[in-house]
Amino acid sequence: MNKNNSDAILKIKEVSKAFPGVKALDRVSLEVFSGTIHGIVGENGAGKSTLMKILSGVYQKDSGEITFDGNEIEDITPIQSMKLGLSIIYQELNLINELSVGENIYLGRFGEMGGRKGVHSKARILLDSMGSKIDTNKLVSDLSVSEKQMIEIAKALSFDSKLIIMDEPSSSLSSDEMQELIKIIRDLKNKGISIIYITHKLDEIFNFCDVVTVMRDGHMIDTKKVGDISRSEMISMMVGRTIENEYPPRPNCVGETILEIKNVNTKKLINVQLKLKKGEILGVVGLVGSGRTETVRALFGADIVKKKDIQIDGESVRINNPIQAINHGLAMVPEDRKIQGLLLRFSVEKNISLASLGNLTSYGFVNEKEEKNIGERQIKALNIKTPSGKTKIQSLSGGNQQKAILGRWLELKPKILILDEPTKGVDVGAKYEIYLLMKKIVEDGGSIILISSELPEVLHMSNRVVTICDGRITGEFDPLKASADEIMAKAFEFEG
Amino acid sequence: MDKKMTKQSVTNLIKNNLIVVGITILIIVASIIEPKFLTVGNFENIIRQFGVLIFVALGMTFIIMGGFIDLSVSGIISLVVVVTVTLVDPIGQVAAIIVGITIGLACGLLNSFLILTSGALTLAESLFITYGLGLVYAALALMYTKGVTQFLTYAKTPITIFKTVGTGSVGPISVAFIIFLACLLILYIIESRTHIGRSIVLMGENIVASRLTGIPITRTVVFIYAISGVMTAIGAIVLISRVNLASPVIGGAIGGGYETQAILAVVVGGTALLGGRGSVLWTVIGTLVLILMNNSLNLMGVSTYIQYMLRGAILILAIWLDSQRQFSEGN
Repeated sequence: MNKNNSDAILKIKEVSKAFPGVKALDRVSLEVFSGTIHGIVGENGAGKSTLMKILSGVYQKDSGEITFDGNEIEDITPIQSMKLGLSIIYQELNLINELSVGENIYLGRFGEMGGRKGVHSKARILLDSMGSKIDTNKLVSDLSVSEKQMIEIAKALSFDSKLIIMDEPSSSLSSDEMQELIKIIRDLKNKGISIIYITHKLDEIFNFCDVVTVMRDGHMIDTKKVGDISRSEMISMMVGRTIENEYPPRPNCVGETILEIKNVNTKKLINVQLKLKKGEILGVVGLVGSGRTETVRALFGADIVKKKDIQIDGESVRINNPIQAINHGLAMVPEDRKIQGLLLRFSVEKNISLASLGNLTSYGFVNEKEEKNIGERQIKALNIKTPSGKTKIQSLSGGNQQKAILGRWLELKPKILILDEPTKGVDVGAKYEIYLLMKKIVEDGGSIILISSELPEVLHMSNRVVTICDGRITGEFDPLKASADEIMAKAFEFEG
Repeated sequence: MDKKMTKQSVTNLIKNNLIVVGITILIIVASIIEPKFLTVGNFENIIRQFGVLIFVALGMTFIIMGGFIDLSVSGIISLVVVVTVTLVDPIGQVAAIIVGITIGLACGLLNSFLILTSGALTLAESLFITYGLGLVYAALALMYTKGVTQFLTYAKTPITIFKTVGTGSVGPISVAFIIFLACLLILYIIESRTHIGRSIVLMGENIVASRLTGIPITRTVVFIYAISGVMTAIGAIVLISRVNLASPVIGGAIGGGYETQAILAVVVGGTALLGGRGSVLWTVIGTLVLILMNNSLNLMGVSTYIQYMLRGAILILAIWLDSQRQFSEGN
């Protein structure tokens, strides 16, 4: 590829960074050229975020050289890097909800902009230039996620950024919002601004990136033009081995009906009903807010739902709280791993043994030896990559955290396992392991309800798919026969 | 790299124990300036002060570890002391003490009942509910006695238990201290070995995730408030035994009385104010450090007002250090 140095706006040469116990970056070199969209892919823990934090001044590098727009970057602070023209848009957006759009864009620079009036008129001009009609007086809390992203980009432009780094911007966007974002990114490119686009999603690389760099374990593996690399080449570079397929063969061991839910009614759900068979993976497809999560939470007793009929093995059961659900052989891996799933400051072991605590108790006392064994057993069985069982779970990668949560439930051998977005924020390698695990669970006689925003995942793994929209079940499909378009049409049925 | 790490871990160690280090320095300074500080008489004085506060602080530890707070303890102390003392003559000392402890338990249960039924599952919500209930308990104590202080020494029936707790000792160890050790042992076993003890820290770390994994949240909330109520009542009985009277305002004004000191003792000991980490053993150290500080400041003749200010400053420092620690862990 083109190695003409005068063109490169950002040059990273042999940069290393170590944290206690890990080498996060090992002599990484990278060049980003003006007016290109440069994708960076890699599994969690590959070093992408560390590299970006060094660029923005959050971390200091141990060695190496970084040149941005002709200036050598050494011991820089975040605000200095912005003033040089290098902006980062983090995954969790850095906006203040209680302030207006204009105030957010020019935060901390009201004086320079000529007070309140100046802030709003400058913000208006800026947003117009981006083709956005968002009212600058609107509070940020009233904006959608994609609008907020737009504001972050406007903020970056207000510093005359020459390079904008986006850290997994698509993880909370709907597909329409994603289209908007792609348009904005292309506009930025046409204005000569360079973009570094960090992502997990390979589709995005092929859709709109010009160049892609693959990172793994703190090393830069390769940088290529997007046209010169295939999907499977990219995956094998990311995981360091060849993955034949992204999905294992579909399990095929469906038996008799084990679970029947009927007449679930809440403010959001209308007469929801579902059937699940032994050994079946039932895919549930719907938009965020369609009622898919509410349905499984009602089943699991996570929300108090009075109007519902649940039958397990043909017998009516009452499930009013998670403890009753667990006693009936249910388990749930919740949607939001950090808030609903993990005890972040506790060890991996403790996070795994958590659900078994009741079983380990006799006369009120916990069997500590067995508690420790459970952790060790599941870490080994699920190949959870952790320095030790005593490591705090917050330092593990998303995939390994998710495996720990799965291990927590597998220890109880649940009859019915609810998986709500089980591969969100999980890297390709760990994803495959999770799919294999799902296959093994149903083959051992368990059943799975799989909720996912990734349609290919549902189509490849499920034995049956139902769609849910506006709190109603809108369709049922055989994933072998139905097309993605048909299913999505049903998932959007009640829209507009 | 290694050198850097050692340096860092030493810095962290000092940072994590900044308060204990600071107060130790203060104590050393005090013992140099004021030789009385190191006398046997003063040590006995310290152990005696330890008495009431430690019981309240031990109960408060479970509450804070679970991610809640209890501001009603001053009210509970006032209510328990007046009821217990007035009942000594009518029903005898044993029954009076049982009633006193039952009142503490009932107050704790009422706290948890209101917290659970109102759906309050955060520290801030429990703060307001227990503050309100604390005012109710304090008002009940005043109404019950019409504001008049009750004297145990006027009792016509025997008050031997109170005398033993107040002044008795087995060998060199005071009876109150033995009661403290027994409570500490029981609470420590609960904390470290039992299911309910585990549930407390798990709940304190992440109440949503704990509930979804089958930790019995309702039972755990009831348990920690019940323990806090009972421990506070035991503290109240020890208090009566020591001062031989029961004033309806003995618990101190809400917000300025025992709860502030107990929270301070728990947090200075190192239990995280937002829950998820802590131990009754740490609270013992926290209480000791706090009392030594008060004592050394008193001996050096530092004004009470300045002492109040110092306590406030230490509480803020403790919370700040804790949030710093969480921040550095988060990266």
